[in-house]
Amino acid sequence: MNILVFVKTNPDLQMIRIKDRQPVMEAIPYKVGDLEKNAVEAAIQLRDAAGGGTITAVCLAEANRRAKETLKEVLAMGADEAVLVTEPALEVADQAAVALVLAKAAEKTGYDLLLFGEGSTDNYTGQVGPRVAEILGVPQIGYARKITGTEGGVQVERSMDEHIEVLEAPFPVAVTVVSEINEPRIPSLMNIMKAGKKPLAEYSLADLGLDATSVVAQKAILSNLAEEQDRKHIMFDGDPAAQAEAFVNALLKEGVLGR
Amino acid sequence: MEKVDCIIVGGGLAGLSAAYGLASEGLEVIVIERGDYSGAKNVTGGRLYVSPIRDLYPELWKAAPFERPVTREFVTLMGDGAHTTIELASERFATPAYQSYTVLRARFDQWFADQVMEKGGMVITKNRVDDLLLEGGKVIGIRAGGDDIGADVTIIAEGVLGLLSSKAGLREEPRPQDHALGYKEIIELPPGVIQDRWHLNEGEGAAHLFMGGVTRGLMGGGFLYTNKDSISLGIVVGMEAMRQAPDKVDSYTLLDEFKELPQIKPLVEGGTIVEYSAHAIAEGGIAKVPKLYGDGYLLAGDTAGLSLNALVTVRGMDFAIASGYYAARAVIDAKERDDFTAASLAQYEQSLRSSFVLKDLETARYIPHTIENPRLFTHYPQAVSNLMEQVFTIGPGPSKKLSSTVMGGVRKDFLNLQTLKELYAMRKI
Amino acid sequence: MAQILVYSEKPAAARELVFKAKELGAALGLGVVAAALGEGAAGTAAGLGEYGADRVYVSEDSAFAGLPVDVVAEALAQVARAAGAEYLLVSSTRRGKELAPRVAQKLGAACVTDVNSLTLEDGVLVAGRYALGGATVALEKLDTQTKVFAIMPKTFEIGAPTAGAGEVFAPALSLQPSAVKLVDRRPKEGESVNLDAAERIVGVGRGFGKREDVALGEQLAAALEAELACTKGLADFQWLPEERIIGLSGAKTKPDLYVAVGISGQIQHTVGVSSSKLIAAINTDKDAPIFQLADYGIVGDLYQVVPALVEKLKGL
Ligand SMILES: Cc1cc2nc3c(=O)[nH]c(=O)nc-3n(C[C@H](O)[C@H](O)[C@H](O)COP(=O)(O)OP(=O)(O)OC[C@H]3O[C@@H](n4cnc5c(N)ncnc54)[C@H](O)[C@@H]3O)c2cc1C
Ligand SMILES: Cc1cc2nc3c(=O)[nH]c(=O)nc-3n(C[C@H](O)[C@H](O)[C@H](O)COP(=O)(O)OP(=O)(O)OC[C@H]3O[C@@H](n4cnc5c(N)ncnc54)[C@H](O)[C@@H]3O)c2cc1C
Ligand SMILES: Nc1ncnc2c1ncn2[C@@H]1O[C@H](COP(=O)(O)O)[C@@H](O)[C@H]1O
Repeated sequence: MNILVFVKTNPDLQMIRIKDRQPVMEAIPYKVGDLEKNAVEAAIQLRDAAGGGTITAVCLAEANRRAKETLKEVLAMGADEAVLVTEPALEVADQAAVALVLAKAAEKTGYDLLLFGEGSTDNYTGQVGPRVAEILGVPQIGYARKITGTEGGVQVERSMDEHIEVLEAPFPVAVTVVSEINEPRIPSLMNIMKAGKKPLAEYSLADLGLDATSVVAQKAILSNLAEEQDRKHIMFDGDPAAQAEAFVNALLKEGVLGR
Repeated sequence: MEKVDCIIVGGGLAGLSAAYGLASEGLEVIVIERGDYSGAKNVTGGRLYVSPIRDLYPELWKAAPFERPVTREFVTLMGDGAHTTIELASERFATPAYQSYTVLRARFDQWFADQVMEKGGMVITKNRVDDLLLEGGKVIGIRAGGDDIGADVTIIAEGVLGLLSSKAGLREEPRPQDHALGYKEIIELPPGVIQDRWHLNEGEGAAHLFMGGVTRGLMGGGFLYTNKDSISLGIVVGMEAMRQAPDKVDSYTLLDEFKELPQIKPLVEGGTIVEYSAHAIAEGGIAKVPKLYGDGYLLAGDTAGLSLNALVTVRGMDFAIASGYYAARAVIDAKERDDFTAASLAQYEQSLRSSFVLKDLETARYIPHTIENPRLFTHYPQAVSNLMEQVFTIGPGPSKKLSSTVMGGVRKDFLNLQTLKELYAMRKI
Repeated sequence: MAQILVYSEKPAAARELVFKAKELGAALGLGVVAAALGEGAAGTAAGLGEYGADRVYVSEDSAFAGLPVDVVAEALAQVARAAGAEYLLVSSTRRGKELAPRVAQKLGAACVTDVNSLTLEDGVLVAGRYALGGATVALEKLDTQTKVFAIMPKTFEIGAPTAGAGEVFAPALSLQPSAVKLVDRRPKEGESVNLDAAERIVGVGRGFGKREDVALGEQLAAALEAELACTKGLADFQWLPEERIIGLSGAKTKPDLYVAVGISGQIQHTVGVSSSKLIAAINTDKDAPIFQLADYGIVGDLYQVVPALVEKLKGL
């Protein structure tokens, strides 16, 4: 069983400051996306339950996104191999471009199961998984909250808006996962060390038969501004009773208590 | 037990510098850093002297993410009711290669960690080393999160308090009298405003130090460094002085008070605080440098007491980088001999002795003692400002001759027994 | 004539989109068509016509059983081509969000999902959506010939229907059955909560150590006459149902008062409460990001503060 897990290096959103309503992205640390960690954990559990198989983590990233570290973290969690697609001047334009590159990487690597996060931490478009599936011509199952291996395929329990659905599909199939599927493991120091020795292949666009024109954006972001917030920032000190008292008094004064 | 050539405890500048040297020579090295990433919690005032270390890793400094080269020096002596600012604009400082740059550690250390990884070194973050593993007095590795990892040599670069190394008996427990506390804020300001306020050309930077009233007469001072689009503003106060202060000062309020001073307020006007931090600084000087090596280990950077507070300059980052460099050299040579005993690693101390690191610390041997004199932080800044004030005063009656104004002030505040004694004591620094 | 094509598996969402499409179509000089696919499609078709579709493509092909996304996407792409659709509006429900990019890929189209505003600026459709986890709102325009928008349900007001309009049309579709088989489908055991309309909300997060302790949050909510809501962090433990999640993937609320208890205040959560009139927070960590968004903050242990608050409120 050949499992590909697609992991993106996401900016640490908690570190993004807003300045004049603009997000300051300079010097922001990057890390494995939350949902991608869920996908990796799901892959590990599937592989281990099946008693064999290979997990390859695939990442497309601009050079400055600390992608190798991301991949090493995933290898430390338990992926077997990693593929990084990058290029010095690469600027990944949009989800269609990302999907094209990832699909080519998948073709090069070979696959039975393609695992994605339901959305990436920063964009959360949910586009990349379905687009990759379409390019490769494989069926897809979104929002998995449980994946079990079957003979030659998977059974997926997925969480839709109002329903739980159980679906079955033979390989190859693409699956995106939601966060309740599992609690991703935190790699131990020893596994982090060992991860350094696991294979990590680096491809350029040319290695995948693509070039800069393959990643041209099909859309433009006209503006990206924070909504304005003006808050009072009043803190109540003292013991819990005093804090409670002050808080309730403030609410009374605001007139938000009672009807 | 899994084993590597070298484990480095702490991914600050000392640890990263050692790792870079070792990885460049192909040794298997892992840096273990407890922060989310290198630089996440590391505190510095903000100025790295590159001149002393330029030749150690010449390729590194060309692409390093410095903020601004320091081309202008300001010193403000703060008196009550008057203060004096000296501005030094030296053409030499404004010509490359620059002797010092302002830096922001979050950015700088992360970049440095990347360089280490480029060379094949491993930087493991979000992991804390819990213990050093000792066997018959020899350090044989570390324990972290339940995993034991062995190493031929462990370089301990855990920063100023040196808790692991003291716990393992490799150095003394930290004492308050040998430390100062630094409180610092990073305040965002537009580059144009920064250049206007400190008379800079685009891209150039200033260092601005404050002596006198900043710290209520406690040993210490204030510093301000200009970054690309922010300033690093802070104060440094002696821990012991603070403990013994007549009226107990809440250390946090010192920085707030400092910013409210009429001399400082216009400098930070309109800025947004984006980061606050506090950190200890070693000030014991050479007298407090512990034994730097032993069987299977080396101490580097602040852990080794390698920092210098010489009133107008705080240095530690250059020492940290240099000590990491020499530590790496020593380990590389020891590896060649396949001998990691104290005798083999003694080379480390020798290199530090023949380099600027221990030489500069030796030169500054008497500074820690001298700056314990509170008058340096009270009397002198006031006296200079008083004198300057008199020089520029034209009163209602006839003015005195300039020379007698000056001599009067000098006689009153400088030519007395105590001052002369102090000046005599200062000859050593 | 080029068209705007509307599809949603949810009839109400489809009607809302058709209504909006009609308005956009009038401004852009485009016709509006809709697709109704799968079991019961014929029944919804008429409604789509009444709300603005000039033509509704209807198919109840058995390949749509269970609405497999690959089959629906293929059908929609075929309809889009047949109709000469320049814009596709689908709903950003879970089904719609996985459908939109797949159709877009088939049509060589750019796509935006989770759209929560759609405006015309100089003849160009500009879509708004949260970005960076909700820290910002991005306005995007699509540069491809065909453009796909997946729009959050209830984004637009819907007006009155005009009777009788709309032609029903059975397209000739060529479809392969999906390799994915639906084995079981059951409703989620949810409860109905209307957080969107709540005036006061108490939000609980992972600061609660055990499932039973959530009762404390319930007591506070009761004392404040507030609805109980939670973070995704807490719902992932299944201590509270998903309907109670506030944030990027949950409800967007605008109460008069929001009290965040044991919630760190990560952006994906706070995007759902940032329109509150007042925000209060209780957290042991004085550096928790929630305090940056709070009007009133209490640094303290919820296990002490909440009972104290409940007592105080009861005494009023
Ligand atoms: C306020 C202030 C102003 C200063 N101004 C200047 C200046 O302008 N110029 C200058 O050159 N120097 C200055 N210094 C001194 C300089 O910052 C230090 O000398 C320098 O940072 C020392 O580097 P280091 O690598 O030894 O220690 P650090 O940078 O402190 O790095 C130690 C690292 O070890 C990690 N660590 C500790 N324990 C463990 C553990 N158990 N497991 C894993 N990781 C661990 C820490 O997280 C940290 O990252 C200043 C210092 C302060 C506090
Ligand atoms: C794509 C995506 C979409 C997401 N969508 C959503 C969404 O819609 N809604 C949502 O909520 N999240 C969402 N998340 C998850 C979100 O990023 C956070 O993980 C989540 O909001 C954190 O929940 P929390 O605050 O309960 O938990 P934590 O972040 O773990 O915070 C717990 C807090 O409790 C405090 N605490 C601990 N003990 C006590 C005590 N005794 N008393 C008081 N305080 C205490 C702690 O200091 C801490 O601040 C999304 C994430 C992703 C990646
Ligand atoms: N650059 C990338 N490299 C690898 N995987 C990605 C990348 N971008 C997105 N993905 C995958 O696609 C999922 C959805 O991403 P998005 O469409 O951005 O919401 C993520 O959770 C990842 O699994």
